Amino acid sequence: MIPVLGLVVGLALGLLLDPSVPVWLQPYLPIAVIAALDAVFGAVRAVLDGIFNDKVFVVSFLSNVVVAAFIVFLGDQLGVGAQLSTGVVVVLGIRIFSNVASIRRHLFKA
Amino acid sequence: MNEPLNGPGDTEGAGGHAGGDGIGAAGRQPPPTGGSKPRPDASMTLITTVLERPLEPGYQEAADRRTSSGLPAATSTRTVIVVVMAIVTGFLFAVAAQSLRPKPTAAASVKEELVSRIEGLQTHGTAQEASIVALTRQVHDLEAAELAQAGGSDLTATINTLEQQAGIVAVAGPGVTLTLDDAASAGGNADAGNRPSSGFEAGRVSSADLQVIVNGLWAAGAEAVSINGHRLTATSAIRFAGQAIIVDFRPLTRPYTVTALGDPDTLRSRFEPSFGGVYLTQLSKEFGIVSSLTAGDSLSVPGAPGERLLVAEPLGALPGNAGAPSVSTATPSETTLPSGVETP
Repeated sequence: MIPVLGLVVGLALGLLLDPSVPVWLQPYLPIAVIAALDAVFGAVRAVLDGIFNDKVFVVSFLSNVVVAAFIVFLGDQLGVGAQLSTGVVVVLGIRIFSNVASIRRHLFKA
Repeated sequence: MNEPLNGPGDTEGAGGHAGGDGIGAAGRQPPPTGGSKPRPDASMTLITTVLERPLEPGYQEAADRRTSSGLPAATSTRTVIVVVMAIVTGFLFAVAAQSLRPKPTAAASVKEELVSRIEGLQTHGTAQEASIVALTRQVHDLEAAELAQAGGSDLTATINTLEQQAGIVAVAGPGVTLTLDDAASAGGNADAGNRPSSGFEAGRVSSADLQVIVNGLWAAGAEAVSINGHRLTATSAIRFAGQAIIVDFRPLTRPYTVTALGDPDTLRSRFEPSFGGVYLTQLSKEFGIVSSLTAGDSLSVPGAPGERLLVAEPLGALPGNAGAPSVSTATPSETTLPSGVETP
């Protein structure tokens, strides 16, 4: 429950402070969000599997976000930013779906 | 680090507390790809990996390490670092959602301001029209009173006739109502401003259509005509601006309702075989423009905002009045008809 509370606190902070994101950072935000979602769902699944490890969670979270942003940056430099973003979204999306399916099996046994 | 939450440092050494919220090692699952036999789809390792092992392998490895050293497989989810990451995640979501939501652009704000100005001016214009009508009625009453005092009551009838003919006063009576609307295929959306470059659509009622039809109604014997509540007088103009139809500088919105006073049967029987009627039939046949002609017993046509000649002077005016520019400087309270009108 406490991590969920933390999530809500973070959401409220972001909504209240409403910080202005620099323009150069904006292309990386959507991908970073997808990567963070992937890490979060992976963590939830690990908790349900009983193999959660906070260090692995933090490292996978940060590396996911950084690598996703780096891929978009590299793609932008090479002129294939949109295609690489699509690739990242597809891969992370499949992972998210699989993890959510596993979470669903844990929670509802179906 | 010393609060009741488990600090990051004690995840390794806190063997006493039950980690993983009671799930413990019993909830462990073997790795999903545990088979020793080579799979038939071994060449598609990328897809297999993505589909079947979506979980970070690091979780399993860390759990294996911890079980081999006698610890519960899972650590607590209540460590400070997890909570911090949760806060960061929520913050990231909120910031991303807020900053990526499409913001109102400068053009949109300018458009909104223009729309509000237009609406304000239209309200202003409507109010002015209403005051014109009220003032016209007042002028009319004063005129009548003045004439009654001067004993020229015969002029009152003349003025009334002239005002009716000029279309200044509202009139009522039997007549026909002709409703025109764009064809269904013409989109029909009033948001014509979204397509600035598109040409004129064939299914739209144009100002020329309205001109032909109104002229046909006049020719059929209509005594007073209004379009969407705008009285047509001798100086009225039906024009277009872009795709909008404008009557006396007031834009119309569809559907277009033409009210013509006159004997309904005569109007109908004269209009339908005339050029205007045939034109209307063709419009319906060729372009699908919707039209309906209905007769009514008690239709009313509003009066036009009074207009008086400011510069033009009637021919054949009396010599005394001919050169007098008093007409052009007439204040609204004066009620002089254009000189010479009463002696046609």
